[in-house]
Amino acid sequence: MIRLENASVVYPGGVVALKNLSLEIHDGELMVIVGLSGAGKSTLIRAINGLVPLTDGDILIDDVSVREASPRALRELRSRIGMIFQTFNLVKRTTVLNNVLMGRLHSAGTLRSLVGMYRPEDVEIAMQALERVGIVEKAYVRAQNLSGGQQQRVGIARALAQQPKILLADEPVASLDPPTSHVVMRDLQRINRDLGITTIVNLHFLDLAKVYGERIIGLRAGELVYDGTAAQADENVFRDIYARSLTADDLMGEAASAAALPS
Amino acid sequence: MTAEAPPAATRPARPRGSPWGIAALLVFAAITWWAASEEFGIGFDVIQLATNLTRGSQIIGEFFPPNWEYLPRTYGPMLETFKMAVIASALGCGIALFISFLASRVTTPNPPTYLVSRSVLNVIRALPDLLYALIFVAAVGVGPLPGILALFFFNVGVVVKLLSETIDGVDTGPIEAARATGANRTQTVRWAVVPQVLPNYVAYSLYVFELNIRASAVIGIVGAGGIGNNINTERRFFNYDNLSVILIEIFLFVVVIELISIWLRRRLV
Repeated sequence: MIRLENASVVYPGGVVALKNLSLEIHDGELMVIVGLSGAGKSTLIRAINGLVPLTDGDILIDDVSVREASPRALRELRSRIGMIFQTFNLVKRTTVLNNVLMGRLHSAGTLRSLVGMYRPEDVEIAMQALERVGIVEKAYVRAQNLSGGQQQRVGIARALAQQPKILLADEPVASLDPPTSHVVMRDLQRINRDLGITTIVNLHFLDLAKVYGERIIGLRAGELVYDGTAAQADENVFRDIYARSLTADDLMGEAASAAALPS
Repeated sequence: MTAEAPPAATRPARPRGSPWGIAALLVFAAITWWAASEEFGIGFDVIQLATNLTRGSQIIGEFFPPNWEYLPRTYGPMLETFKMAVIASALGCGIALFISFLASRVTTPNPPTYLVSRSVLNVIRALPDLLYALIFVAAVGVGPLPGILALFFFNVGVVVKLLSETIDGVDTGPIEAARATGANRTQTVRWAVVPQVLPNYVAYSLYVFELNIRASAVIGIVGAGGIGNNINTERRFFNYDNLSVILIEIFLFVVVIELISIWLRRRLV
């Protein structure tokens, strides 16, 4: 379970990104965070794995404090939390397999990983992760030769290779076209259901959020302004989160509802 | 009916060019004139250069024809130059790889390490290779060893400067991704940064090797081993026909290295 207790983040420039956020995220949940850009979605995601340090309050992951964690304990914590990114963040010059094996570094030991002598079982885990996202045939291709959708699936495989308990996804489909977005969102949905991995996703398309989110939380200027089910989140709710009326730009379109897995 | 243009926003006025550009150009011109002038500078004169060239042509004429009988006597020293360059490049580039990560803002473990490694590097780079050679010849005596030491310091300075600045410009996304997996600093550098800069590193290393071949011609003059020793001897005895053999040899050597490095780089990038 992830528990936020008055979590606050103030950036060095004085920008308040998160304000007294208190929240519980249960094991196996698929939670979507919505809000305008600058509302604190990315900050919240990065505060959970300690990439952005809290300035007040705390976040507990299975009762372990992120804020108090020593550097070693923080690495240990991060190894159990997979993360995927808007811009994929792959090393483009190296192979897909090497990118996915990054997810095994935490268990590989420094010397072994320096020379790239991964244990056979680590390579096996990486290959299985690639199989799960259906892209194993690209294992020895350079990442730069893949399409955007394929690169994001490599990003997901890298996170899966960690064998994580939690998956954080920061705008995972913002750089993809609508059909590919649905493929990637369905991958995340399947991973959440089949493996029981707690999944937290930032999205800015409201229709995507409603289709894929079991639970939706809304952030506005760093504050929690909505926390409920996708079914309850109607137009009025979103209008409140965005503090303005909705436009076509807030929706991805493309018959979103037809694309999701049946629940 | 004419199509009516939509009410356009007023176009911005073209920004005026900064007067500083012209001012800087004038200052540069003034400094150049000062450096070359008769009264204040070194009295650089193009006409004099042209007339004196004809005097030089007499000496240059002595370079031809090259005395090919001298060639076998250069094989040993040339091989020594090659060996010196190989050793100095291998050691210098190897150590530079590690220092570069300390001397880049992106990968340095902490700001003090960054500042210290940068300052040390600036000191190392302040001295030219010839001066290093003079110092080491005085310290350890004549021979290839002071030459290797001189080239080593020169190489570390050049490669760390180029490579650390390349590291400053890498895509930081993969670094964040690696940190998010729980990888430690060494692992992050190895798998998120090294693959990004490897082709550059190879190119810099080959460049430094090529510089070493050329530099060993110069540092040999002060007693630091290699083909430079021969240049010094032949020059002192005015054996210009022997000298031209050495020059042609160095020229060919550098061209071959350049061809190899072009080929290697094309395969890597």
